[in-house]
Amino acid sequence: MSSTTLTHDDAHHDEAPTFWRRWLLSTNHKDIGTLYLLFALLMLFLGGASAMVIRAELFMPGIQLVDPDLYNNLVTNHALIMIFGAVMPAAAGLANWMIPMMIGAPDMALPRMNNLSFWVLPAAATMMMLSFVVPFFPGGGTQINTGWTLYPPLSVQVGMSMDFLIFAIHLLGISSVLASINIIVTLLNMRAPGMTLMKMPMFCWTWLVTAFLLILVVPVLAGGVTMLLFDRHFGTSFFDAAGGGDPVLFQHLFWFFGHPEVYILLLPSIGVLSHVIPTFSRKPLFGYNSMVGAMLAVATIGMVVWAHHQYTVGMSLGAVTYFMIGTIIISIPVGLMIFNFIATMWRGSMTFETPMLFAVAIILMFTFGGLSGVMLAVVPADMQYHDSMFVVAHFHYVLMPGAVFGLFAGIFYWLPKWTGHMYNERLAKIFFWTNVISFNVTFFPQHFLGLAGMPRRIIDYNVMYTEFNVLSSAAAMVFGLSHLLLLYIVISTIRGGKQAQSKVWEGAKGLEWELDSPPAFHTWTVAPTIK
Amino acid sequence: MTQQSPELRRKNIGIALLLAGFALLVFFTSVPFWQGITRIIGNQAGG
Repeated sequence: MSSTTLTHDDAHHDEAPTFWRRWLLSTNHKDIGTLYLLFALLMLFLGGASAMVIRAELFMPGIQLVDPDLYNNLVTNHALIMIFGAVMPAAAGLANWMIPMMIGAPDMALPRMNNLSFWVLPAAATMMMLSFVVPFFPGGGTQINTGWTLYPPLSVQVGMSMDFLIFAIHLLGISSVLASINIIVTLLNMRAPGMTLMKMPMFCWTWLVTAFLLILVVPVLAGGVTMLLFDRHFGTSFFDAAGGGDPVLFQHLFWFFGHPEVYILLLPSIGVLSHVIPTFSRKPLFGYNSMVGAMLAVATIGMVVWAHHQYTVGMSLGAVTYFMIGTIIISIPVGLMIFNFIATMWRGSMTFETPMLFAVAIILMFTFGGLSGVMLAVVPADMQYHDSMFVVAHFHYVLMPGAVFGLFAGIFYWLPKWTGHMYNERLAKIFFWTNVISFNVTFFPQHFLGLAGMPRRIIDYNVMYTEFNVLSSAAAMVFGLSHLLLLYIVISTIRGGKQAQSKVWEGAKGLEWELDSPPAFHTWTVAPTIK
Repeated sequence: MTQQSPELRRKNIGIALLLAGFALLVFFTSVPFWQGITRIIGNQAGG
């Protein structure tokens, strides 16, 4: 990247507002970023708790702990909370913290809307929790037992908890769209003089593409769940064949959102890796232009391959063939990004602090998840794999490394900048190894369970699947509990630790490393000039 | 809150309104568009 000329000393520390004004009415991108991250951390534990109940139930064949409807609700909630409550807000938190600092802007383009985008989230989370709690009360109706995909006709028949969830999804959508608008406007209008789009940090590029994807697909999900609401209460038949509608219409609406959603979850983490790997390899990112091209290709092709989630639904041969070819083609630009990361490391002077450990683990495990994805892309093979544990293994191998570990890498990478303290490297490495090893022991056996015929989203299974389920569940307990160590590391770093320098990492480059650690409440009040 | 120049503020709000309008357009047109697509794919499957 180009060198910078600071035209003003940014060391002045202006006063932050008092507590309620500061946090409830915040218009500061750093504080709003902190709020997003804290919210995401809380949701990570809630979503993780549902996963641990799921795995506890699946430890042995038979029904031991929860009844089937509650089990299906936990499966539904685990996905919804992790996707909408943990990963997306955490990525938005990283964006809020880092984008203005990286581009030399004093704040986001629309600071008050930024505040609104965050504070809608606790309301949405409350609605989602209510959807879980309501069935426990008399007259509360059935649990939401549809899975996160909410397919009708079951989702039309479920009790009133579904209405709470639909409202929650509307609120989540509003938050995402408003945040995306803010990010796009910030990146287009607020870059420092001399910072052209092709000199912009890669994390900003990934968020620019992610934000456009969100604006394109979240309204379609909103349309779909609104149609569901109308079918439930206003006598329409969008998804009712008897009334002239089609349940498969919902699937198309959902997955038109659902497939780009996985790139929305992935791209910010790719952006984090695009900073972490060059820093700890002490080499510039290989192939900046091709990375930009690859992520644009991923976003574009990713918009037109949605029905690979629906191969078994009865589409024509021509339709499934088209989606298969598109799905296989998309592995090329994704692979290109991975190759660029490897080329960045090639002949680099590498050190393996925790962010870099996560980065290397991501490259290995995400690639592995991508390979099972290519298997799933093949239509006749997917007739066997669809709705089996093989799919569960695949998406956990792409989403955990591809999204969650990327966010962990970003948190360890930028925590010293945010807090002014170094985290405990020894504890962080213990967290990394415990987390990654237990993750692999949890999900790798699930490939074999799926290939052997174990379906997904079931509370009970044939006794022949017992051993791998025992192994997976035992490792899942370790995996879940290991996140308590992450919580401890984050809290202890916020509270104190070795003082961090402005340029925390030797190989780090970018405007954000010119600022103090922690940065002032207002930074870049005078824009730097990029040469 | 740091102050923006009136010109920058106008540009920011203008682009934001454009993007919001586009999101609303996608929301409202999703119903007939997707009904049509489903009909086409369904007809192909039916022969």
